[in-house]
Amino acid sequence: MTWIDLLDLVQSVFDGVMFGTTYALIGIGFTLIFGVMHKINLSYAAASIGAAYLSLLVVQIAPTPLVYLSAALLGGVLGALVYLVCFRFLPLNQPLATLMSTVGMLLLLEEAIVHATAGMPQNYPSLFAGVVFDVGPFMVRGDLLFVFGLGCAAMVGLKLMLEKTRLGLATRAVAQQSVAARLCGMSVSTTNATTFIIAGFLGGTAGAMTGAAIGVLSPLLTLPMTIKGLVVTVIGGLGSIPGAIIAGLVVGGVENLFQFLRGVSERDIYVMLMLFAFLVFRPGGLFAAPGGRD
Amino acid sequence: MDFYLGLLQVIGVHSLLGLSAWCVLHTGQVSLAQGGFFAIGAYGAGMLTTMFGWPLGWALLVAALLAGAVAVAVGFPALRVKGLMLVVATTAFAEIVRLVFFNLSWKVKTPQGLIGPDGGLGFGGIRYFQANAWSSVQVLLLIWGLVALVMLLLWSLDRTRIGTLWRAVGEDEVAAQSAGINLTAAKVSAFGIGGAIAGLAGGLFSHNTTHIEHGNFTILLATFAIAYPILGGLKSLAGTLVAVVFIQGVLVEGLRFLGDWRSLLFGALILLVMLVRPGGVLGAPLRWPSFKRHAAASTTDLMISAERTRHA
Repeated sequence: MTWIDLLDLVQSVFDGVMFGTTYALIGIGFTLIFGVMHKINLSYAAASIGAAYLSLLVVQIAPTPLVYLSAALLGGVLGALVYLVCFRFLPLNQPLATLMSTVGMLLLLEEAIVHATAGMPQNYPSLFAGVVFDVGPFMVRGDLLFVFGLGCAAMVGLKLMLEKTRLGLATRAVAQQSVAARLCGMSVSTTNATTFIIAGFLGGTAGAMTGAAIGVLSPLLTLPMTIKGLVVTVIGGLGSIPGAIIAGLVVGGVENLFQFLRGVSERDIYVMLMLFAFLVFRPGGLFAAPGGRD
Repeated sequence: MDFYLGLLQVIGVHSLLGLSAWCVLHTGQVSLAQGGFFAIGAYGAGMLTTMFGWPLGWALLVAALLAGAVAVAVGFPALRVKGLMLVVATTAFAEIVRLVFFNLSWKVKTPQGLIGPDGGLGFGGIRYFQANAWSSVQVLLLIWGLVALVMLLLWSLDRTRIGTLWRAVGEDEVAAQSAGINLTAAKVSAFGIGGAIAGLAGGLFSHNTTHIEHGNFTILLATFAIAYPILGGLKSLAGTLVAVVFIQGVLVEGLRFLGDWRSLLFGALILLVMLVRPGGVLGAPLRWPSFKRHAAASTTDLMISAERTRHA
């Protein structure tokens, strides 16, 4: 391996880590919902991409930052919708019921996207697309840097929300012990619903970031995003937000590393093998949630 | 007529796939790996008959055993985790299998020319039925004969000690373990038998369609596999069959007149079934949908559900 190859390798890993913020956000969404409800919402990544698609409705009349903002807000709306349809009225003691209902939602969202756009990829606006910064021998793409910054901002916002507001306190209380939270007078279903909305904000942002970084939105994104989000959630440790962030960046980096070394058709094999290694040697993930009293 | 024969063949293959998921779900594990075992069976049996000239019976048997062996090998590490972690682990496994076949290019010279899997282009020319002049009815009889055999096997298995162990583990792992049941053996055996059935289904699938490619074996297929028993209800084998007929016969074929809207309706109908019959179509006696009873949920219900969520 020559010096130039090594530079290319570091460059592609670096790009991957920056794109990894989208995986991190999707992973955080899965982890948040798992934290409060102990349920998987398999339609989450599809709803995130769907929110980005919906934000295309205002792309003609609004400047690009407003498109991203509307993607986030629409993500929240979709999150509330998913909660109402897939969780609110289902018996929560049957884990398979909500699993299937979210699968139904995933299929429905994906087909709605295909139906609305006739399956054609749609261009998505990006900011700073042509800007390139030179850092020593490396270059930093402006649009990726923006995506990275937006992802970090969303994470900081989430952290502040969880730690400084009453809503965040309620979310953490329900995640820790839902029965005790209920005994203290909190409404578990309201907290669950707001958690879905907050996760939806993050998902909408992640959908917009994906569109901005790739340049197009396609219905083919939903399944890979779902799988990558789940991988990130598990590697980071279920219910752990810092874990999801680090795992997201790691998965992004590893993905690009193997894309550079082995080509695009083989890269995901290695990501999945990494996941398997984690399951065998560290099944709790990077930061498993500390075992509670029970 | 040929159309209906073809439809019945598809329903038969998918019934086997659903039954394979039923085994695993019976022990309380949600596995999305069935699509991977299905792919192993499909490629394995196809390669044995076309590239090495094996007879179909032996090829199906070896493919099923191979898929079962892989399932046992994967089961040991994968079944250490459960719930969401298992869903993700099995998803990862199915994706690895799919991507391996996506990258597999291996052709051999046969009297019919170069034949074998060709990476992204897929694996075509699995024409065993055509080469041996099987009629559609004969193929259909073979498929449904195997479905009947597998159902009989599972039905009798369910009535032996093994079935009791599986159900005990599925109902409550902690209670089963404290009764001295070996959890790993129960789960891995269910996983292995399920894998073998999926492999058998895959072998039939590849010979029936004559051309397979990695896109046949995505997570969507695995989702269908677990959707059949869940929608049908885990209590009965017949439920799985009913769900396959409902989905493949009514939803996929019967609603063709709706055109594009059909696939939209598909997800919505799964949602609807889960809202109205959360335990599956045949899973529980008929009762009011839960949103009507929601207001009446008692404190005991709450405590039980809280207890369950903690263990989930």
